[in-house]
Parts: sequence; structure tokens; C-alpha cells
Amino acid sequence: MIQHILRRTMRSLKENFSLNLVATGVIGATVLLAGVYLSALQTLDRVVESWDRDAHVSAYFQPEIEVELRFATKDQIGARQEVASVSYVSEEDAAAYLSERVEEVGPILEELGPEVLPSSLEITLEQGHATPAEIQAFVDSIDGPPFEHVDYGQDWVQRFHTFLTLLRGLGLVLGVLISFAAIFLVGNTMHLVAYARRAELETMKLVGATWGFTALPFALEGCVQGLIGGGMGLIGVFALHQVLVARLEDALALALAGAELSFLGAGWALLLLGASVLLGVCGCLWSVTRFWRKAP
Amino acid sequence: MIRLYHIDKRYGDHQALKDVNLHVAKGEFVYVTGPSGAGKSTLLRMLYGALKPTGGKLLVGGVDASKLPPKRLPFLRRNIGVVFQDFKLIPNRSVADNVGLALEVLGTPRAEIDRRSRAVLNVVGLAGKEERMPQDLSGGEQQRVAVARAIVNDPAVLLADEPTGNLDGAMAIEVMEILMSINLRGTTILVATHDAGLMKRFPQRTLRFEAGRLVSGQ
Repeated sequence: MIQHILRRTMRSLKENFSLNLVATGVIGATVLLAGVYLSALQTLDRVVESWDRDAHVSAYFQPEIEVELRFATKDQIGARQEVASVSYVSEEDAAAYLSERVEEVGPILEELGPEVLPSSLEITLEQGHATPAEIQAFVDSIDGPPFEHVDYGQDWVQRFHTFLTLLRGLGLVLGVLISFAAIFLVGNTMHLVAYARRAELETMKLVGATWGFTALPFALEGCVQGLIGGGMGLIGVFALHQVLVARLEDALALALAGAELSFLGAGWALLLLGASVLLGVCGCLWSVTRFWRKAP
Repeated sequence: MIRLYHIDKRYGDHQALKDVNLHVAKGEFVYVTGPSGAGKSTLLRMLYGALKPTGGKLLVGGVDASKLPPKRLPFLRRNIGVVFQDFKLIPNRSVADNVGLALEVLGTPRAEIDRRSRAVLNVVGLAGKEERMPQDLSGGEQQRVAVARAIVNDPAVLLADEPTGNLDGAMAIEVMEILMSINLRGTTILVATHDAGLMKRFPQRTLRFEAGRLVSGQ
């Protein structure tokens, strides 16, 4: 029985090569889209993770505060148990840092003088004290004189978290839609294969073939399409990742805050490959079942 | 072998069969005849499970085909050979592959399929044409391939729906002679036809249908 099923599968793959190629291409394109989306989401997750891990607070001194008081405040804060490290950034250091990052502002700062930027304490909290609530509590405890402003980019981080949640939701909706579209496309392509073989399917049913015997070669075809299409899609995602790493990683270094552009991990790659096999098998079974029900 | 009790079949408002009662014994050869639309093909389609009666009971080889769940249908069909007017051969399969299909679905080993296909093609006079494609054969030869496919798994019942309808006189006689020889080996045969000449040449019990009613031959 297995021998007959394999023989029929091989024959169908050969005889319907171009239709199988289309179905494989659709699966490949779906996996490519899903892979790119998941890679982007992973990269953004890592960026947020690195921000959360390096909970960082900038406390800007009021301009009139004496240097001695600034250092005393630094020591006082550095002694707190939730603080991992604290460094003092003078007006000159701040100006030099900004000039280094944004060349165009160098001449302007020289013109205005270094004191245009406030001195500050750059505080890194211990990882065990880096939840948003704990950071906020720490900021509240030091907010006020001698500081003019204490900031850890909370608004921005929260907005980014919201954006990521939205992106995940949107991705999920798009993923479901794309999956349905792919099942529909693969199913219809396979329906063409089934249509091309309608005489055979009808005759098989008439001579007593079971649904399983008829459908299994189609399911195997779907499996082959899924494996090849999924593999091609993953190779596409990997190739795209390599191109982006080579051309854009330096440019994106600041935006990525030290996180690397991610390629899907082995787990996700296997999951996508499994999903593409499932897609191929479901598409094929759907089409052959539609046809089977109509046959006398 | 075949028993019908008060069989009705309705397509919307059209009554295709009305209160048909019938018994066909094992090994019988029976013609089913009548004008177009009399219900001949409907009866045959019911016997191989492509249609279910609207009312009544239908037994084929002891199996109640009127209540057969779809999952059991293949097992009923493995005991019934069917020959169609339009042959229903697979165009891109060789003669041997077409005939072997009925054994393939049973999971018969390849060597056994080849052996039995050759034997049955010999019975229908097509020895040596195993590797030919259906479209390379004459109409009579194609119908003989269809007959070979229908009998290759030794079914208890052979149903033929207008098997000579597309054939000229000499070819029709050839096919009928083959059906007669199969019947002599014990296979129950029902042939739907309106070819009076053939029925006269090969006289057998004849069931006559008119407007869905069995009017003679019970």
C-alpha cells in the first residue's frame, strides 16, 4: 500500500511540476514574510530588553549648584544599595559628548560656551531594582534640589512598549490573514492539480478507493511543498539578514542601543518550517476533499 | 444478490423511481431497459452507491446500500464492477495502469497487479496492448479495457450503464460476448440498455422501466 502511495506521489510531483512550483513559491513567500516580521520583532524586543536591563537615570544639576555639592551628592547617591554605578558629567564633558555624536553642533557649542549644557549624574541601577515601578520610586526619591530635572526616558520607553504591543497585535492579525490567504492559494493551486487528475480521482472512488488512500499522496505532495517552500523562505530571511547586517548595522547601531539585528533562532526557524509543512498538507487535503465530495 | 423493497427516488419535484420491488439472483444476467428518463441509470447509480434512495430498502450482496455511511462505500464498491458508456478511462495512464487501478486501491502487490491485469486483458482480447494509451485504441477496445478494469478484482456484481451506446454494431457484439462469458463464470450482471437488437441477439431476463416504474420483468 505504502509503495502505491509513494509511487502516486512521485508521479504527481513530476506530472504537475509547474503547479507544484507555484504552491511551493506561495509557501516560500509566506514564510519569508513571517520570518522578516519575527526577526524585526525579536530585534525590537532585544532593544527594549537592553534598555530594561541597563536601567539608566540622568539627573541634571541646577546651574547654580557648587561643584563640591555636586560631588557630595554623587557620593551620597553612589552609596545607595539600588545604585550600581554613578558618574559625574560636567558641562564640558556633556558638550564634548554631544559634539562627538553630532558634528554640526560643535561650532555652535563653541560659540555659546560649554555651560550651555547642564552638568549631570549618570546613574545605573542594579538589575534587581530595574522594574519600571522601582525606577520611578528611585527617580521620585532624588527629584528636586540640587537637581533641576531627573529623567530616565520613561515617556519614550512606555510609548515604545505600547508601540511594540500594537506591533505584536498587528503582526498576529496579519499573520492569521496571511496564513489564511496562503492556505487558500495553496489549496486552490492544489485544486488545479486535483482538477487535472479529476478523471483519476473519480475512477479511484468508483473502484473502491478510500479517502485516505486517495488523499495521502496529496498530503505527501503538500509536505514536500511545505519543506521546500519553507526552506526557501528561511534561506531568504537569512540572506536578507546578512545583507542588512552588512549594510545597515553600523547605521542602526545607535537606534538599536547595542542590540544586534536578529536572525530567527533555531526554535523559530523550526516552528516556521513546521508551519509551512502544515500549510502545504492542509492546503492539499482541503482541495482533494472538496473534489472528493463532488465525485459520484 | 440484489434486492429492492419499495424503492423511491425523487429529484426535487421529479420522481425518478416509484415503488420499485426487485430481486436479482446470484449469477443472473439481467437487462434494464426503457425509454430515456425511465430510471435505468438512476437504478444503477443507486446500486453502486452514487445515489441514495429517497425511500425503501436496497440490498446488494446482503449490504443495505440505502443506509450505507460514506466511510463504508468503498468496501461496497470493491465488490461491484461498473462499466460506463463513456468508458471513464484515465487518459494519461496505460491500459495496464487503468486496469490495475482497481487492484491498486486494495493494496495488491505490484507483481500481482501486473499478473492479474495481463490475465484479464487476455480474457477481453487485448493481450499485447498493455502499454498502449487509451486514446490509441478504438472505441470497442476502450470499452473492453473498462470491462477488464471492472472485473479484475473478481466482483460479485457487474453493472454496465449503456456499455454499447458509443460503439458500432460489430464492436457492441464483441463487448456483449465478453459480458456473457463473464456471466458464465458466475458474476451477476445488470446491463442498462435500450438497444433492442442486442437484447434480441442475446436474450436474457429484461426489466422494463417506464416513468420510474418497473412495468415488467419482476
